[in-house]
Amino acid sequence: MTLKRDFYKGLEDILGPEFVSDDPVITDTYANPFREGIPYAQTFEAVTLPKDTEEVQAIVRLCNKHKVQYKASSTGWLYSDPTKPNCIKIDLRRMNHIIEINEKSMYAVVEPYVIGAQLQAECMKRGLNCNLTGAGSNCSALPLAAHVNLGHLSQSGSYGERNQLALEWVTGDGDIVRLGSLGSLDEWFCGDGPGPSLRGIIRGNTMPLGGLGVFTKAAQKLFHWPGPSTFPMEGVSPKYKPAYIPPGFLVRYFSFKTLDAMIEAVLKIGEAEISTELMCFNAAMMASNLATENMEEEIAIYNKFKDSVLGPGFMVLIAANSGRDFEYKKTVLQMIIDETGGKPLLEVEDPENQGGYVWRYFRETGSIKETGRVLAPQAGMVGGGDSFPLMSYFIKSCAKLKAKLIAEGALFDDGTSPFIQSIEHGHTGHGEILARISLKVKDPRKVQRVINMGSNEISIKEFFGVPQHVWSDELHDMYGPHASNYHLWLRKIKKTFDPNNASESSNYISAKE
Amino acid sequence: MALKDYRKDMETCRRCSPCKFIPLEKVTKFEHINVCPSIARYDFHSYSGGGRMVMGTALLEKRLDYTDKLLEVVYNCQMCGACDTSCKYSMDMEVFESLDEIRISCVEAGRTLPALDKAVNSLRKQGTMVPGARSKRGDWAAGLNLKDYTREKVDVIFHAGCLGSYNEDASRLARATAKILQKAGVNFGVGGENETCCGGRAHHMGYKEDFLNQARKYMDGIKKSGAKTLVTGCADCYGAFKVLYDRYGLKGDLEVLHITEFVNPLIKKGKLKPKKAVNMTVTYHDPCYLGRQGEAYIHWKGKEVLGEVRTFDPPKTYRRGAGGIYEPPREVLKSIPGLKLIEMDRIKEYAWCCGSGGGVRESNPEFAMWTANGRIDEAEATGAMAIASACPWCKQILSGSIKGKGSHLKVYDIIEILDKAI
Repeated sequence: MTLKRDFYKGLEDILGPEFVSDDPVITDTYANPFREGIPYAQTFEAVTLPKDTEEVQAIVRLCNKHKVQYKASSTGWLYSDPTKPNCIKIDLRRMNHIIEINEKSMYAVVEPYVIGAQLQAECMKRGLNCNLTGAGSNCSALPLAAHVNLGHLSQSGSYGERNQLALEWVTGDGDIVRLGSLGSLDEWFCGDGPGPSLRGIIRGNTMPLGGLGVFTKAAQKLFHWPGPSTFPMEGVSPKYKPAYIPPGFLVRYFSFKTLDAMIEAVLKIGEAEISTELMCFNAAMMASNLATENMEEEIAIYNKFKDSVLGPGFMVLIAANSGRDFEYKKTVLQMIIDETGGKPLLEVEDPENQGGYVWRYFRETGSIKETGRVLAPQAGMVGGGDSFPLMSYFIKSCAKLKAKLIAEGALFDDGTSPFIQSIEHGHTGHGEILARISLKVKDPRKVQRVINMGSNEISIKEFFGVPQHVWSDELHDMYGPHASNYHLWLRKIKKTFDPNNASESSNYISAKE
Repeated sequence: MALKDYRKDMETCRRCSPCKFIPLEKVTKFEHINVCPSIARYDFHSYSGGGRMVMGTALLEKRLDYTDKLLEVVYNCQMCGACDTSCKYSMDMEVFESLDEIRISCVEAGRTLPALDKAVNSLRKQGTMVPGARSKRGDWAAGLNLKDYTREKVDVIFHAGCLGSYNEDASRLARATAKILQKAGVNFGVGGENETCCGGRAHHMGYKEDFLNQARKYMDGIKKSGAKTLVTGCADCYGAFKVLYDRYGLKGDLEVLHITEFVNPLIKKGKLKPKKAVNMTVTYHDPCYLGRQGEAYIHWKGKEVLGEVRTFDPPKTYRRGAGGIYEPPREVLKSIPGLKLIEMDRIKEYAWCCGSGGGVRESNPEFAMWTANGRIDEAEATGAMAIASACPWCKQILSGSIKGKGSHLKVYDIIEILDKAI
């Protein structure tokens, strides 16, 4: 489908010809990268590069006028592709400024293309830290931009839904709405007022993933950072090593004979509030993080690790405020591990490895290694956001699917231990099935469907709630009747703020009757 | 190898975007996180390493053709290799070599840029990538009484390079280099009018066959001379002799050293003594083909094993930038009395390119200068009085930037500073 010339001319008038293109050489690279077994994705009709909120608003209004859909994204890793013709891309790459870091009130305001690594670096200079999305510090620092924004720091630094403060939003039909304190005081310190409070509206269970207009600026809470202002990394990529491990910092990995024992340890650590990070990585993810040479090295490390672990386990990271604080936290950690029968993975404690682990986890630079190193379309399933034990059991149930697929040769055998994480010191939990589809599988989509359908059935039949991967009409329609028909309300929200259905919402919900 | 042989590498791209940034562990501030000049200047994803991987697969799939727009995107890239290094912090895929193959496929399809054709025609006719007559190639050495390695037995060949032979400023540098080698008592020779271009820049423009013709001729001469070591002060030539010649099985056992690698041990052994103080604060710019792309080529022969995951038999070792030449230039600078070395934000394997490479200097001088201006801004921010490099191409474009911007900075090649100190 070709865009009408007057529409394209309108885009050029808004942006200047340099910042809009409908050439296939440009649009093709925004479609899902081609992989064996996965069909080539739909391409956008054009790609735009607005520089500010006003240009975004003008594009959105033009799309509404001409009945063309748009989809905005920032760093745009996943869920940012079009699914149908007649849709243009709003690439927010030029909106890349840190608007404010307020040290006194401990919040930061960013535009969408500030990446996590940038904001975190600036925060650390000020004795502060920000939560980063677990996908990595290469992703946007905007709390709404990156899925639920759960990450390694969520144990102490919460996540997007909770950290988001005031917000600037271009609605589906092109109004600029300023939420929270920004709406009345022109300040960013609060998401709920004084001024309109619409945090629940704009997020839903996860976030609209580009399906409800464009978020152009957002503030988020910051947290205390007891570490150094910069990271003294030595060596050359990828073999970076810290010059030293700061006093009061420690990383450990413990495994347990049973999931129940692990859950007990996680809850006790949470109750004691001694850890800055706690991620229930499995042995394969610990191995991926450490490997620097190639896949063969990674497999060798994994084989070593899997023989050393008892079963489910977690990485725990302490960042203490003082020597006394450190001694206290270390002692409490050891007591809990003794009580729950945890077994340490000694390779993690090796000084050669420990420093690297500390920085990679704090800076979230190892996520890509952990999830994407090998040539395989990934499969996966993102769990819910309920209590930590409930989410652990949900993922445990889903892990049976993974075990079955491994046995059938459809997935790389990286063990079946689920990945779970503790949020806000055990207040809630989140889990994912991460899998690598075997290259021998001819149609990777079939494997993904088996995981998706199986885990959805488990969630509904075993009453695990609405997971955080529910993003499409099909899934909302599946879950809605089991959860107070929330999907009908979600559709009303979509209809109200995007009456012309201009904001492409295949990863959110449509306004269908 | 051809573009199709890199299909699985290109398909490995996950669009995660670190190819656009310096390695994330090295981000210590808001500024200077960009590592790729192309995506930094043109913003559309197509201009990034990741975008180019999608483009490569699209070419193989015939979804894209060699249109003017494709050429515009493909050739607005300095081939600095920064995307490759940043990607390989996490991933196992050949980004840089894929970029090479995309360009080679353009040339093979008969689709390239007139400015690049002009440069390569000069190579074909005169054996040089810059304007100059073959008969005048050796003029830079007039009066120095240097040995001619094509006629006399020498231990070391000094390769002046195209700029060193024809550019006035770079020729002065070549003369200074020769004098330093004389002072150190090195038995070396030059090719004079028999020296030709290494061909490296032609390769990075996609003219593989022209490169190979050039390289084969050049190596014939070197083999006849019997010399075991080649030294050059040009990072582009260094990368060509050390890496490309090796990649195509032409290098043999020739030892290739950059001049900073060669003089550094001479300084340490006391054969060269920098005695005179050079009271100056200097920041050092890592040339791409001495730094991250100066890492030795790693030969691998075996088979790809597509099982549950992609592995190789025997396991493949990737060039990730760790083996680049980073310390010798810095050690030479540090050996100079009075000189204080101060680093920029983006250095070594994640250094920002000077802008001159990959044919951009020839085809899009505005973009080349935009890139150089970014480097000069970064150098100025250090408070240094001067920026030093180890490649005449870098020096040339950084000089142009300084002049254009009215910057207070001086620009030197390291050897020029060493020459002042000896």
